[in-house]
Amino acid sequence: MAEKFDNLEEHLEKFIENIRQLGIIVSDFQPSSQTGLNQKLNFMITGLQDIEKCRQQLHDINVPLEVFEYIDQGRNPQLYTKECLERALAKNEQVKGKIDTLTKFKSLLISELGKVFPEEMGKYKAIHGDDPPS
Amino acid sequence: MTEIFSSLYGQPDPQGPGGASAMGFGPGKPQVPQNLGSMSFPHQMVSVDEGAQLRKPAAMNEPFYLLRVLPMENELTGHTNLITHYNLEHAYNKFCGKKVKEKLSNFLPELPGMIDSPGIQDNSSLHSLIEKPPVCNNSFSPLTGAMLTGFRLHTGPLPEQYRLMHIQPPKKKNKHKHKHHRPQDPLPPETPSDSDHKKKKKKKDDDPDRKKKKKDKKKKKNRHSPDPPGMTGSQPSSSSLR
Repeated sequence: MAEKFDNLEEHLEKFIENIRQLGIIVSDFQPSSQTGLNQKLNFMITGLQDIEKCRQQLHDINVPLEVFEYIDQGRNPQLYTKECLERALAKNEQVKGKIDTLTKFKSLLISELGKVFPEEMGKYKAIHGDDPPS
Repeated sequence: MTEIFSSLYGQPDPQGPGGASAMGFGPGKPQVPQNLGSMSFPHQMVSVDEGAQLRKPAAMNEPFYLLRVLPMENELTGHTNLITHYNLEHAYNKFCGKKVKEKLSNFLPELPGMIDSPGIQDNSSLHSLIEKPPVCNNSFSPLTGAMLTGFRLHTGPLPEQYRLMHIQPPKKKNKHKHKHHRPQDPLPPETPSDSDHKKKKKKKDDDPDRKKKKKDKKKKKNRHSPDPPGMTGSQPSSSSLR
């Protein structure tokens, strides 16, 4: 899977370098540069063809739209990954806290109900099985 | 405790603890269908359609009436550390353990041009590309000779308004220098002549080797040409702040 990314990355780097050189030629154009300019223009088209071929290998890759917002703001897209992981961990901890609290509440409720309604709780435990207080 | 239920719902029950049988507690039979019509439960949520479904579990789980089947336990819950479960510890340490730089140019250092500026400014945002995709043909065909005649350019440099395209932002060089701004550092006893100079000298170079060299220079100069007191002829006064 990394190979197809490397392939695309290589083509993109060549394409960008070609465009950069094209910009240098155009910035101070000389008559002798015309053939080089024409060559660079055709390289640009072949570069686009190569990138188009890479597209077929990557049709199953999905990119979240939020990453594009980071890129459009000029921010590092790795910050999106970082914030996703931090949010996931925070939510995980929050849910774990809820589970732990409710488990404690359940065991406390069962014990208190067992004191007040011993017979009924005995029947309840017979139906549901003896749930160990977690 | 069960007497409270009977007093709350106003049902005079001959059996003392049986007053709670309407709620499913107590030794009596659960009088589910009849009690629903006779009693007024302000918080009764069971509709007529659901009552048939509930009767089945009530009959199975005597003497409880509203006892439902517990949901299936899911092995993967929020109780487990999902980052460890999905083997994302390395990714977490990589992104959250170290400081991730803010700018896009730190992620793509070899990309030319001003990429840290927002894409809206120069109409190069990815969002606009998604909203309004460019209309193009399916294939890329190379330019013919006739098409290339349209790319014959005039000689000479570009106008100034178009020159900024290939300019890259200046790369900041991190100079790791020890900046100890102490207003009055006590001078070492090796240079007694400097003790006469009471001016504050803030030097840019704090390397110990350079300090030693400067001290040696001071010694040499003091030997050859002794300076009068109050003059700073030996060293240039570097009062420039950093």
